[in-house]
Amino acid sequence: MGIDNGALDNIRAAQNTDGGWPYRKGGSWTEPTIYALLAYRAARVAVPRSADAAAWLGAVQQRDGGWTPRRTVDQSTWVTALVALLPPDTVGVERHARAVDWVLRQTGMESSPVYHLRNFLRSGELPGGEPSGWPWFPGTAAWVTPTCLGVLALKKSYWRQPSTQVRERIDQGQKFLLSRQCADGGWNHGSAHALGYNSGSYPETTGQVLLALAGTDPVRLEGSFSLAQRFLREQRSSAGVAWLRLGLLAHQQVPAGAPLLDMPCRTVPDSALTFLAAAAEQGYNAFLE
Amino acid sequence: MRRRDFLMGAPVAALGLAGCGRNAAPRSRPLVKVTRAPAYSQDIYDTVRHALAEHKLNVRGRRVVLKPNLVEFEPESAINTHPMLVHAAFEAFRELGASVTIAEGPGHRRGTLDLADAAGYFQTIPGFEDLFTDLNLDEVSRVHLPDPVSHLRSLYLPHTVLGSDLLVSMPKMKTHHWTGATLSMKNLFGIVPGAVYGWPKNVLHWAGIHQSIADLHSLFPNHFAIVDGIVGMDGNGPIQGRPKAAGVIVSGHDPIAVDATCCRIMQIEPSRIEYLTLAGGLERIAAENIEQIGEKPDSVATRFDLIMELRDLRRVPA
Repeated sequence: MGIDNGALDNIRAAQNTDGGWPYRKGGSWTEPTIYALLAYRAARVAVPRSADAAAWLGAVQQRDGGWTPRRTVDQSTWVTALVALLPPDTVGVERHARAVDWVLRQTGMESSPVYHLRNFLRSGELPGGEPSGWPWFPGTAAWVTPTCLGVLALKKSYWRQPSTQVRERIDQGQKFLLSRQCADGGWNHGSAHALGYNSGSYPETTGQVLLALAGTDPVRLEGSFSLAQRFLREQRSSAGVAWLRLGLLAHQQVPAGAPLLDMPCRTVPDSALTFLAAAAEQGYNAFLE
Repeated sequence: MRRRDFLMGAPVAALGLAGCGRNAAPRSRPLVKVTRAPAYSQDIYDTVRHALAEHKLNVRGRRVVLKPNLVEFEPESAINTHPMLVHAAFEAFRELGASVTIAEGPGHRRGTLDLADAAGYFQTIPGFEDLFTDLNLDEVSRVHLPDPVSHLRSLYLPHTVLGSDLLVSMPKMKTHHWTGATLSMKNLFGIVPGAVYGWPKNVLHWAGIHQSIADLHSLFPNHFAIVDGIVGMDGNGPIQGRPKAAGVIVSGHDPIAVDATCCRIMQIEPSRIEYLTLAGGLERIAAENIEQIGEKPDSVATRFDLIMELRDLRRVPA
C-alpha cells in the first residue's frame, strides 16, 4: 500500500511563516511541529523553511532544558518527549541532550518522595513500589500518553548511547503502562478503574501503548492485539487508526487487508500520524528507528 | 473598550469586572427557569427561545460562546450534551443578534471534531466545523486567579473564551463519581486547554476538584447556563452511568443557583456538593434565595440513582 501524499500536502499547506505548524490554523505549537518534522523525515523530503522551523523550535526551549507547548506558555511540559524523538541534529545535539535530561528528571507526582511522605503521614501506608510513569504537566500524576512518549524518546536515546539510568526508566515506564491496562485488554488515558468500576479503552492510547511496548513479551499482549484489531475495524478517528497501525505494526499484528487512510484528517497531527503510519507500513517507523 | 479586549490586555484586572465574586452576596435573588421538555424534538427550539426571552438577555452585537459537554464517542448514550439543544441555543442567540461560536475541550479524548461528529453535531448543526473551536487547541493566555480556593495561582485559558462577551455553559445533567453532580460549573473544566495541561487536565485534580471548580467559577461568575436535563445520566456518571429521563431544561444567569436547582431536581441535596458551598456558601444555594420561574423543582424532581459512595448526598446535613 502506497504512502498517501495528500497527507503530506496538507502538512505543507499548514506551515506558518515562522517555520512552525499550528494544530489547525493560527499560531505554531510544538506538538504539530514535531509530528510534521517526523513526517517529512519519513518521506525523505526536505522540510520547507527548515532553518525557520529549527529556529522556532529552539526559541521554545526553556532554561530547564524542557520545551513548552508554545511560545506564550512558560512551563516545560510533556511535549519535551516529542522533541527528544527527533534526531539530535534537528534542534542541535546539546539542546537535544538537555531535552533527554529533562525527560529523565520527570515522574508522576504519585512517585515522588514528597507524595509518599504525605501519604504515609495521612494514611500510614508505605510506598508499594508502583512503577513510575510520566505526567503531562509537571507536578501532576503520570498518565498513559506522556509515558508512551517518554518511553519512545528514551528508547531512541538508549539506542544512540546505552546507559543503565535510561534503561531503568524505560523499564519503569513500560511497567507503568502494563499496570494501567484496562480489563478489556486495551488502554485509556490511564484510569483502568474508578471506585471499583472498570473503565473502557480508547483506540488512540491502545495503539500508543502497543508502540511503546514494542519488543516486550507478546504473550501478555494477545488480548490487546485482538482489541486493537477490533478498534481498527471500527475506525472512529484518523489519529486512532494511525496509532493502532503503528502499534500493531510494531508487533507484526496488523491484519491483512486492513483499510487505511479513509478517515478525515482534521488537524496537522492527524495528517502527520496518518503519513507516519503509512510510512511504517513501508518499513520506516519514525518512532522506532 | 469591550470586556474581551480588556481581558486580553490585562486579564488580572479584568476579572474583577465580572461582578459578584466567590461568596459575594448576589445583587438580588437569581432567576432560574425550569422548563418541561419531554423529548429532543423541534419543540426545544421554541423552549430555548422563550427561556432566553424570560431572562431578558441583551446580546445584540455580542460574542457568545456555547460550551456543551462532549465526552465520548457514543451517540446513543446520555454522555454528551444533545446536539439539538446546542443547535436550538445557537439559533436563539443568533436571532437575538449575537455572533455565536460553539467551543469545547474534552477532558479525555483528543479528537474533538471526531468526537463531535460521532455525537451527531455535524449532522444536526449546519456548517458545524466552521462554527466550532476546539478549546484544547486554541490560542492561550495566562490568567491569574484573583482569590483562589485551590493552590492554583494562574491558569492558561483559551482566547475564544477569554474574548467572549457571554460564555454559555451547556452541560448534561449527570451524576459524577467524584463530585456528586456535574452541571454548569463543573462543565467549565472543558475550557482548560489540553494542549497545555494534557488529557486529563490533571492539574485541576491535584489542586482539588471542588476547589478548582470554584476557582474557574470565580473567573466566569456570570456565565449563562442551559442544562440539558431532557435525558441526563444517573448511577456511575459522568461516563458509565445510565440514561435518566428528567424531561427538563434548566437555565439562568447564576451558575450556582442553576446547579443548586438541578441538584434539587436530581434529588441531591445541594449543600452536600462541596463546590457549590465553596463557590457560593450555604445561603446562596438555599431554595428561598433563588427565584424559580417555570416549573417548581419539586414538581419535576426525579430520583437520580447514586453509586454507594455518594449515597450521603441525599441527606440534608444536620
